[in-house]
Amino acid sequence: MESEVFGANSSAIIVAHELKGPLSLSRQLALSLDFEDSIDGAREIGHQIAATSERALRQVEDLTRIARLEDAMFEMEPVNPRIVCDEVVSELWRLFRFNRRELMIDYRNKRRLVVANRQLLHSVVYNFCLNAMNYGGEELPSLISIYEKYDKIRIDVRDYGPTVPTKIWREIKNGFVKKPVDIAMRPGSSGLGLYIAAKFANYMNGDFGLVRHRDGTSFYIDLPVSGQLSLV
Amino acid sequence: MIFVIEDDRGWEKYYRRILKDYKMEFFHDGVEAIAAMDEEVPELVILDILLTGPTGFAVLNEMRSYPELAEVPVIIVTSVSIKDAPSEQYGVTEVLDKGKMTPQELIGAVQGALK
Repeated sequence: MESEVFGANSSAIIVAHELKGPLSLSRQLALSLDFEDSIDGAREIGHQIAATSERALRQVEDLTRIARLEDAMFEMEPVNPRIVCDEVVSELWRLFRFNRRELMIDYRNKRRLVVANRQLLHSVVYNFCLNAMNYGGEELPSLISIYEKYDKIRIDVRDYGPTVPTKIWREIKNGFVKKPVDIAMRPGSSGLGLYIAAKFANYMNGDFGLVRHRDGTSFYIDLPVSGQLSLV
Repeated sequence: MIFVIEDDRGWEKYYRRILKDYKMEFFHDGVEAIAAMDEEVPELVILDILLTGPTGFAVLNEMRSYPELAEVPVIIVTSVSIKDAPSEQYGVTEVLDKGKMTPQELIGAVQGALK
């Protein structure tokens, strides 16, 4: 579908398009302030501009991190996945609300830490959530879960949107993610967010994957358990 | 009635604010919108191109295949560069770039299309 619109599978074009979306919306929202009479309405526009801009900034940061991955600048350390997920929720709740979506949490792992890079894990969860927000329905909330899976900790984000085509599911399962369009799995998607998540998961020796449900998809990352326990 | 086919809720809010004087119905994918056109022929369609589901071009193609929808004015509002798109072939009234348009241009395009 993307190639039909863009004419060529150029990752650069996709990245540009992905960034143009939130930047265009921020600009239009700023211009629309002239049309708002109430202070509360203007304040809401201000919040929406901030949330939309933060999303674009996060994408820029992630792209910068991808460029620096080969230099191995991201140290692995014991990380509490609950704290990371809480940070993502507090960063995204407003954007979810503007999109009439809900994000919930279900932490079944209470104390165990994972071996990861905190920044990269944050980006992985953030991109899973953004994907869930874009493709989930309005009826059911997206859900972040943390639980033990065999000898690892799984963090997954479940949405209730259109399920992923088999071809794309196989590509992710087999680790054939070479460029964003490989996982532009759902209509209107460039695949960039999940591409970023796959790259970061791979860097942290985590397993990136998805589970298809009849009514949606769960994207997950499995990470090795740290020998340390959280004191929190 | 204006049918707005746009899958981003952020943009939906924007349209509601800028075009508050018009009666609008919002659709988040083209399939829903085409189905609704069976019940009611819109006076104008505002259409995005990158949609969840069929693209805006596919929606346009489908619309133009029905005689009762063939003349409905369509304004494309998109962030995709579509200068080579077959706008004339499909009878597109106006193409607005999400990154460059102003609210006044949007209002002007809607007023022009509804004349």
